[in-house]
Amino acid sequence: MAMILETRGIGYAYADGTRALSNVSLTIEEGRKIALVGPNGAGKSTLMLMFNGILRPSTGEVLFRNRRLDYDSRSLREVRRRVGMVFQNSDDQLFAPTIYQDVAFGPVNLGFPPEKVKRYVGYALQYVGLSGYERRPPHHLSGGEKKRAAIAGILAMEPEVMILDEPTSNLDPASSEEIMEMLDELNLGGKTLIISTHDVDLAYRWADEVVLMKDGGVLCRGSGEKVFGDLELIREARLKPPLMVDLYQELVNRGLAVQKKPPKSILELCDLMDERKRRDELQQENKGKIYICNADELGPEKAVELIRKVDADYTGAMGTRAKLLAEEANLRVDFTYGVIDKCILKALIGKSCLVFVSQGMLGQIQKRIKAYSQESGAQIHSIDLSARNNGRSLPVAHGFSRTKSLK
Amino acid sequence: MHDLLDDWAQSNALRERSSRLKLLLGLGAITICVSSATPNAPFFVAVSMSLIILILAKIPLRIYSHLLLLPLSFALLSSMVVALMHGSGDMLYAIEPFGLRIGIREDGAALALLLIARTFGGMCSLFFIALTTPMIEIFAVLKSLRIPEPMIELSMMIYRYIFVFLDQAAMIHNAQVMRLGNLSTRRSIDSFSMLASVLFLRSWEQGERLIVAMDARCYDGRLDLIEEREGAKAMEIVATGAYLALTLAISLISNKQGIS
Repeated sequence: MAMILETRGIGYAYADGTRALSNVSLTIEEGRKIALVGPNGAGKSTLMLMFNGILRPSTGEVLFRNRRLDYDSRSLREVRRRVGMVFQNSDDQLFAPTIYQDVAFGPVNLGFPPEKVKRYVGYALQYVGLSGYERRPPHHLSGGEKKRAAIAGILAMEPEVMILDEPTSNLDPASSEEIMEMLDELNLGGKTLIISTHDVDLAYRWADEVVLMKDGGVLCRGSGEKVFGDLELIREARLKPPLMVDLYQELVNRGLAVQKKPPKSILELCDLMDERKRRDELQQENKGKIYICNADELGPEKAVELIRKVDADYTGAMGTRAKLLAEEANLRVDFTYGVIDKCILKALIGKSCLVFVSQGMLGQIQKRIKAYSQESGAQIHSIDLSARNNGRSLPVAHGFSRTKSLK
Repeated sequence: MHDLLDDWAQSNALRERSSRLKLLLGLGAITICVSSATPNAPFFVAVSMSLIILILAKIPLRIYSHLLLLPLSFALLSSMVVALMHGSGDMLYAIEPFGLRIGIREDGAALALLLIARTFGGMCSLFFIALTTPMIEIFAVLKSLRIPEPMIELSMMIYRYIFVFLDQAAMIHNAQVMRLGNLSTRRSIDSFSMLASVLFLRSWEQGERLIVAMDARCYDGRLDLIEEREGAKAMEIVATGAYLALTLAISLISNKQGIS
């Protein structure tokens, strides 16, 4: 994988002499999901501000695609366009009186012609599910909507890397799940994502790579299992182990689960718990089916009709567009986040599920279910109900990258 | 949540009507009010504007009367003073406490009535604009009137952050009240001064964060200005014109009668 961002021995001290960072060397590969984790004052936010040249390190250097950041205004513009940053407090970021103006801010300042600005803003707002909010002032939005608007403002500039400072702080659980799922969607579209968080469960579950920080330095980096498996390290960083890891260890100690690598999700934990049973019995048992349909192809009426026709035990909506569809059609949806896992869990106990999926995530869900069936030996069938793509697995086409061809 | 004028402006029944026309109607009525020499036209404006606000824009009576109470009580008090101070003409009413003669003369009474009428009519027209036209639409009209862009951009930014600071002020105030910061008058004054100073510091910090936020998105001195919506329907233009003409006629006719 190509290196997209790199810091080499950077250090930084604030004007009052507090050292915020010292000798941080970090490489970030393209297309990864990275979580910076650490206690308050560990230097996470300072490090993030280095990535797009808002702060300039006092020692060391920052590289974007193997080129050193020059801090003249032209190269700063370039790097800030490619490395977008979403602030922790949405009110800091949404400064224009209407959502449209705010999202248009980046494109306008990049000097895009008005017609192109309009198109980009339209795409970004549609992507985050805020079409129709153009003329609303930010103070009339809920916390989750504000966060989405802030993300749209960055998306409209088509960045390659997105940095999000505490993306789920101050959001209700459902909103934060939706935001995290949107980030997954963006990652599938090829964006590199860096978030900072205190939430160890979130970092463990979501990130490909966890960077543990303390006192302005990097304590440890690696996969979630590696970083959070080291209890000594976790204590030193004033964090706690993720619930899943804790629970898994207790279950292993009691002989209730097989010792393997720590599970990332409830699904994986359940697998470890009925591992023995699975091999002999589960293969014959009746498995539920997972019906998948492309939400972008369906209108509200068709969706309702489909639900009646399929008559599944559970319904799910995956992706922003799918959730919008469910809202429009006034559907009662059982799963709106962690949808694939939930469906597999239900399928394992013989229930069927119908999932509405945004086009961009269609390939992912099929791949995931297939991989799971192969790995576990449980035969779970996913049935694609989409009109055009019957049975054929889709390439991971992505909603937002379509704008590229429109340039 | 409907606590602010702005909230009503966003959700009233006339929201989607041409903002240009609404501004014309409101400002036209105000001009006629302040230039009218007799109270007839201003009173007509006050009554008709109130009806428009209550019936066409569907603003609840409770909210509207509440809004009017403040400027109206102010107008009543000040015109009372004017009535007492001003004057020639016949004495209409007088009292003589401690040998001092205080009274209202004909002239003073007429002036006071005119003052009340003008304030009342003007306020109703102003509330018509404030309750039916969101600030954003007004910015759009300003832009089309070729007001210098930096001025509009600055006002847009100010408008946006009023709400952020309003929230913060409310939070600080709550924090003070929770710890009994307003138990006595003295304590309330102290608390208020603290609120003001903290709010100043916070707005300063907010300003710095704003610069960072704008820089992070390649700020280059440009802010997109909102476009105007499509124009008014012919019927609406005719109705507005007719209303303003009628008001002007009332004003002129009663002016003449007043002189003759």
